[in-house]
Amino acid sequence: MQPQQILDGQSLEFAFMGDIKAGFPSPAEDIRERLDLVRMLVRHSASTFFFRIDGVSMVDADMDEGDIIIVDRAVAPYNGCKAVCFIDGEYTVKRVEIGTEGAVLLPCNEQNHRYKPIPVGPEDDFLIWGVVTWIVKKA
Amino acid sequence: MYALADCNNFFASCERVFRPDLNGRPVIVLSNNDGCTIARSNEAKALGIKMGDPYFKIREIVERNGVAVFSSNFALYGDMSRRVQEVLRAFSPSVEQYSIDEAFLDLNGMDDVDFDAFAKEISRACRRLTGIPVSVGVAPTKTLAKIASKLCKQYPKLRGGCYMHRPQDIAKVLRKFPVEDVWGIGRKSVRRLSQMNVRTAWDYTQLSEVVVRRTFALPGLRTWQELKGIPSIGFEDVIEPKHSICVSRSFAHEITESAMLAEQVANFAVAAVDKLRKQGSLALEIVVFAMTNRFREDVPQTSSGICTVLPEATSDHRLIVLAAVDACRRLFRYGFGYKKAGVVITRLVQASNYTPSLFADADAAGREARLSGAIDSINRSFGPGSILFGVQGDGHIAMAREHQSPHYTTLWEDIPKVKVK
Repeated sequence: MQPQQILDGQSLEFAFMGDIKAGFPSPAEDIRERLDLVRMLVRHSASTFFFRIDGVSMVDADMDEGDIIIVDRAVAPYNGCKAVCFIDGEYTVKRVEIGTEGAVLLPCNEQNHRYKPIPVGPEDDFLIWGVVTWIVKKA
Repeated sequence: MYALADCNNFFASCERVFRPDLNGRPVIVLSNNDGCTIARSNEAKALGIKMGDPYFKIREIVERNGVAVFSSNFALYGDMSRRVQEVLRAFSPSVEQYSIDEAFLDLNGMDDVDFDAFAKEISRACRRLTGIPVSVGVAPTKTLAKIASKLCKQYPKLRGGCYMHRPQDIAKVLRKFPVEDVWGIGRKSVRRLSQMNVRTAWDYTQLSEVVVRRTFALPGLRTWQELKGIPSIGFEDVIEPKHSICVSRSFAHEITESAMLAEQVANFAVAAVDKLRKQGSLALEIVVFAMTNRFREDVPQTSSGICTVLPEATSDHRLIVLAAVDACRRLFRYGFGYKKAGVVITRLVQASNYTPSLFADADAAGREARLSGAIDSINRSFGPGSILFGVQGDGHIAMAREHQSPHYTTLWEDIPKVKVK
């Protein structure tokens, strides 16, 4: 088709969407998807929050000073999950072990024996703020 | 059926999400400039702190009771509001955001749903996913849904959700509900109503239609119908663009220099233009106003405003800032201490509907539009205030924000810190 046609002596222009090229059309034309890192790391944008790791590096936890951890409150705490907890007036990351007797919070640093497992009961002033879903660290 | 989801003590609750140590403790949030109380936790309400109480008046109560005080942190509240809205959208495709902490849900067509359980589930989901406590009222009309949500706050055993639909239940609630607390009953009507001996919402429904229409006109009649269970207020899930935009602030310290006032006004103008551009409108008129501290009887008082009609409807930063600064310089008078100023841009038209005048300089308009577009994209990429007009100074609006919490969710430097143990 010509981009311009003559009709009764008047010119009539056609607007084409995109370029028209001769030859074999790209089979990838309809595929616009790109890998979106944010979509992978933030599954639920309403309930996902970022925290920064403060303090000395802790080998077992895979979390080093300055790392960003991604916390999703939509994820229900499961046995063995790492979670941001609030105990004694501050935030900390613990491994949560859920047994028949209730939950036990395990330190994420087994080398340092200063930190002992904490059994938690309903009377304790403690809360699981959210489950850690990703750790973002600089290479 | 309609639901109203209302966040409890919203600003105070936002602060608490990131400070769980404040659960059970009194918390208040102050207005811009740490002026007066704009949000209170239940514990702060129990201490007798009222909405709008000036900070200096309640300082003693605050200190005696260890009340946690916050300057307002609207970046945080805006983000938490967005999160609550997102959770609500999972429950109904049509959500009308009514204010930063309230939204209506249209539940029509959901006939087989157990609405009481549904309301409680919405509240539970908001709390679990965002940390914000939310009261959800479900009722046949928006006005009744608002009343139902208030019941949730009064009665914790409702677990955040209340479905109010049987006529006898509604009647029982309305008989106890003060008429001045009904949505849509204005302060002006309250005086008239008390003369008519109307004290409760129920009394109002017992007036005749003719009397209501004659005394309170159409809005009053709508409220009357809504209280009787007849839906009369439309559902607006499409936000109408605003017809005017106002940015104003009180200053921490009184301003006595023309250049300093101009700097603040330029910042207000830029903030207003950003809002204008976001909603895709153009402005035809700009009003700049400034006033002295009316609470101080020992200093001379002035209050004035200047309205400038722009030659063409525009959303260009440069033109609007120029007009604002020019007006500010003209209204400034030496010998006065200015306590508050503001910029209002009005007579807005949608950019897509606007036809420029015949003599408009199309080339200049094109250049201005490209410049403003560049300013937008620089500030979008590098953060607000990355590029400024010289007259804006350092771009900060001078405000007292002594007690502001970090921008936990909107600034990388401010995300909460956690220790690994």
